[in-house]
Amino acid sequence: MNYSLLSLEILLTLLGVGVLLGDLWIPASARKLIGYGAATGAGILLTYAIGSGAPADGTAFGGLFVVDALSNYFKGFFLLAALVVLLLTVSQSDTIKGYAEYCALILFATVGMLFAASANDFVLMFVALELITVTFFVLVSYDRNRSGSLEAGVKYLIMGALASAFMVFGIALIFGSAGTTNFYEIAAHQSTLAKSPVFLIGLLLTLVGLGFKIAAVPFQMWAPDVYQGAPAITTAFLATGSKAAGFALLLRVAFSAVPEITAHWSRLFLVMGVLTLLYGSFCAIAQRSVKRLMGYSSIANAGYLLLGIAAVSLNGSTAVLTYLGGYIFTVLAGFAVISAIAAHTGSDDVSAFAGLGQRSPILATGLTVSLVSLAGIPPMAGFFGKFLLLKAVAAHAGTERFFLVALLAACVGVVISLYYYFGVIRSIFWPRSVADLTVIPVDGATRLALILSIAGVFYIGIFPNSLVVGARQAAAGLAPQTAVAAKAPAAPAHH
Amino acid sequence: MDAHAAQHAIAATPAFSSQPEDLAWFILLLPLIAAASIAFGVRRSSFLSSTLSISATVVAFFLSIALFLAFGVGGYPAVTSPFNWIHVGGLQVDLGVTVDRLSVLMLLIVTGVSSLVQIYSTAYLKGDPGLSRYFGSISLFTFSMLGIVLADNLVMMFVFWELVGVSSYLLIGFWFDKPSAADAAKKAFLTNRLGDFGFMLGILVVWSATGSVQFTQIGNVLGGNPGALGGLASIAGLLIFCGAMGKSAQFPLHVWLPDAMEGPTPVSALIHAATMVAAGVYMLCRAFVLFQAPGAWPAHLWFLGNISALDIIALIGGFTALLAALIAFQQDDIKRILAYSTLSQLGYMVMAVGCGGPDAAMYHLTTHAGFKALLFLGAGAVIHACHHEQNIWKMGGLWKRLPITFRTFVIGTAALAGFPILTSGFYSKDAILVAALDGGHPVLFGLGVLVASFTTFYMLRLVIVAFFGPYRSEAASHAHEAPIAMTWPLITLAIPSIAVAWFGLGDYLSSHFNPHFHAHEGGGLFGPFNHAPLAAVFGSGALLFGATAAFGLYWGADSDPLPARLGLLGRAMRNRFYFDEIYEGIFVPMHDMLGRLFGAVDRWVVSGLGIRGTHGSVELFGRALRLLQTGNLQTYTFLFAAGVAVVVFVATK
Repeated sequence: MNYSLLSLEILLTLLGVGVLLGDLWIPASARKLIGYGAATGAGILLTYAIGSGAPADGTAFGGLFVVDALSNYFKGFFLLAALVVLLLTVSQSDTIKGYAEYCALILFATVGMLFAASANDFVLMFVALELITVTFFVLVSYDRNRSGSLEAGVKYLIMGALASAFMVFGIALIFGSAGTTNFYEIAAHQSTLAKSPVFLIGLLLTLVGLGFKIAAVPFQMWAPDVYQGAPAITTAFLATGSKAAGFALLLRVAFSAVPEITAHWSRLFLVMGVLTLLYGSFCAIAQRSVKRLMGYSSIANAGYLLLGIAAVSLNGSTAVLTYLGGYIFTVLAGFAVISAIAAHTGSDDVSAFAGLGQRSPILATGLTVSLVSLAGIPPMAGFFGKFLLLKAVAAHAGTERFFLVALLAACVGVVISLYYYFGVIRSIFWPRSVADLTVIPVDGATRLALILSIAGVFYIGIFPNSLVVGARQAAAGLAPQTAVAAKAPAAPAHH
Repeated sequence: MDAHAAQHAIAATPAFSSQPEDLAWFILLLPLIAAASIAFGVRRSSFLSSTLSISATVVAFFLSIALFLAFGVGGYPAVTSPFNWIHVGGLQVDLGVTVDRLSVLMLLIVTGVSSLVQIYSTAYLKGDPGLSRYFGSISLFTFSMLGIVLADNLVMMFVFWELVGVSSYLLIGFWFDKPSAADAAKKAFLTNRLGDFGFMLGILVVWSATGSVQFTQIGNVLGGNPGALGGLASIAGLLIFCGAMGKSAQFPLHVWLPDAMEGPTPVSALIHAATMVAAGVYMLCRAFVLFQAPGAWPAHLWFLGNISALDIIALIGGFTALLAALIAFQQDDIKRILAYSTLSQLGYMVMAVGCGGPDAAMYHLTTHAGFKALLFLGAGAVIHACHHEQNIWKMGGLWKRLPITFRTFVIGTAALAGFPILTSGFYSKDAILVAALDGGHPVLFGLGVLVASFTTFYMLRLVIVAFFGPYRSEAASHAHEAPIAMTWPLITLAIPSIAVAWFGLGDYLSSHFNPHFHAHEGGGLFGPFNHAPLAAVFGSGALLFGATAAFGLYWGADSDPLPARLGLLGRAMRNRFYFDEIYEGIFVPMHDMLGRLFGAVDRWVVSGLGIRGTHGSVELFGRALRLLQTGNLQTYTFLFAAGVAVVVFVATK
């Protein structure tokens, strides 16, 4: 078997172990080095993954694990998210208790995400998801002195366990009816399997588990609480890596394993998408906590993404991937600021951001860029993803009224979102009452993380081509028949 | 990946060779360079910032003159110079500039007015601590506006369209310590976005129907097959028009423009008179080919028959023109009068487009840009002189104190009222009235004449009350003329207000839209009276009527005699027909109610008894958390399981 296909996963695991071991020798006074080391390692792996070192397409473990355009596309973003999040931890290396473990857990969660991107089998999918979820149970409740964090951890634990239970039950049903858990093998028999109610229910229960990960209605209840309660850095990773992993798997299951059934369920995805985006948008209006606001925004964004899946087209999947790419940069920029503010003021209430324009121009710029991009305004990254998504949905709107309704709902959602995003921006630059105008210090690592994310938001917004090309290749690779055949090595310009 | 694509983009960027269209790229980028240098470099020095911003715009203006001579007058064929922006599968968007008669004329307007406004601002905002921010925003705005002008496809136009929205948000909210300014900025932005969504949907519809977003390609497709848009023809047109409705503040999205007057007055002159609000009209003219398709509706809207998008556009434009003119009757704030006048004139232009006269609309846009910018800057000089007093009933007698401002203001007023022969406004207004007649809209023609007489009336009311009679306040009696940096932009703008029409601008534009156009026999200064006497005579008559009424009512009046005569109608006019109240009454509660409804559901689901939100004591919070943890997780898990049941039921049903 070709182990080089797993090189990223293996190296990242070693890095995590190295971080844990390094803690034994590095003195407490130099704890920052751990964070820098982990971030550097992730950075090297990132350049390796998107550079020439990317493994050629192929499968391992008897088809359980696959490397293709889609997995490479996502792995780059997971490593990027890990890199930025690790950089953010550096400034708090003294306040986080068990700092090395925190970094190591982030790395292990990333390993889970890498596996998720490559999972081509329900079993590996489940294992990868559990690796992510279980590490996040700990990461969410890491702020042990704050009851909010513990509460969020318990909620996430119980809800996550519930979702996993449904999922594993679903996988059992799938295996029982199909006799296999491999995506390609299921795809080969999907027309007969589509007639088996046991298989369909199994599939639905699996999707419930994924719906939990991406926080889609009706499995979204946990998200605002957990986003608000968890440490800001954990939330950043939850909103980017964990969510993108959910979508990577959802795309694979929907279009590699059971594309015909997905086409049949298009309307189900559509309705879920519309409900999700409206729920997220409306609930966000009344929020004062910016972290909670981001939680609802994250729900709303999952809704838009579901619309792209519901379009069941190459353009739809391309749009989903493009959107996710821009979204990751955007959200990282936002949380870089939120975590800096939370560390400095101990609050994430909108009032803590009042006058930020004067207190720290770079933080104010970061959050503004992030919110404007989330609102889908050009030339930020968020615009193009949304535009492509709406275009994919609009392509069906002429023939199917459901899609027309979805299109209008999406517009309503976007207009509402402007209202609350700009509420925060307004408070940043035009505070009602200026309380404290002392300068907020920003350390080098946070600055670097911020600049990296902002540059990404602008780069994708102004030169979307590079991302869209990669997204389209990844989406094209989803189709089961083409994915089996050995393909020519993909160009390095993947992501 | 990034290096790869960046290389690709750079390689595809047209090298600056001797091609005149490459100048257009340079013009476009100049203000951006200025904005970036201000933001990242010299923002600490307000002097350097203003110099940089002004010189970039002035250079862009002179380059635009060169382009105008080459393409507008010299008869160079129109060109586009695209390079690949996104090329993936079926998706193809180029980044390109169009240089033709239409765009070079707009380039002149934008860079010209922007230069003058910036020079004027150095005196008007002297000593303001945010000056660098101001010039940075104005450079960004100029860049965005030039992008709209030069864009050769709908997507690129949309991107710059949004940038204009963002930069105007910054400018309207420039005095952010005034809550009203911050509110106005937000209102302008949100109202515009509402229209923009229609615009975006329109782009998507056009894209799926014609397979292209590029103006010339769309033109080719529709030229080969006028029915290419199928049953969506009218709807696509109206959706695109939604964008113009927001930017050009047409009914019912007009509410943001008067509030936007909270920004500094030079900003109002630039954004709310000459450029941004004109963008909507410009876009309609640029995409006019879309509207020429015969009207058609989807099957279940059959009852609309063959009403075309243009008919509806003409009606909305005409209605806006009338409504805004009526409101302007009873405003006392000098800037608000001008704001409603702008609304009304924009309605005029939109009506012209709707009547099938994009050339007339562009003609009026051009002349209006000059004289309305002049009027706003003049108003700024008055406000400056009267220590930020904006109520015209507290001015009076200013003609003695502010001679230059007074003379130029009168020239601007004459142009806006359309004083025959002498002013540019006469010719462009006449072109619109002719378009309404030729387009077979006698009712709109009558409405146009009516609005013309109203315009004269409210403008003369403003001039008589503010500039004549006794000093009505302490500030007015001590007013003195503005510094030279403010007066000479006024004088410069007064020249085109008179002379722009003398050089055959109408024919220039008509030949752009209609290649078979031949100049009218017997053109020249008295042309309008020769070839379309009806419009010219009615237009002049309207002026006479309005002027008589204004002099009769306001000459020597101490207070406004009109409310008593108009009664209830007057009150409604004074209160802008209660549009803001109506919107507040309908949309805000609806919004609040939905928000509250969802909030309540959320609170019930999420935080049990609604403790979140109250800033209770720590103890209370702790107790609440205990409450949450037991009560809520059960609710969560219950809802989760119920959700699973619903999903399974729906999917397998």
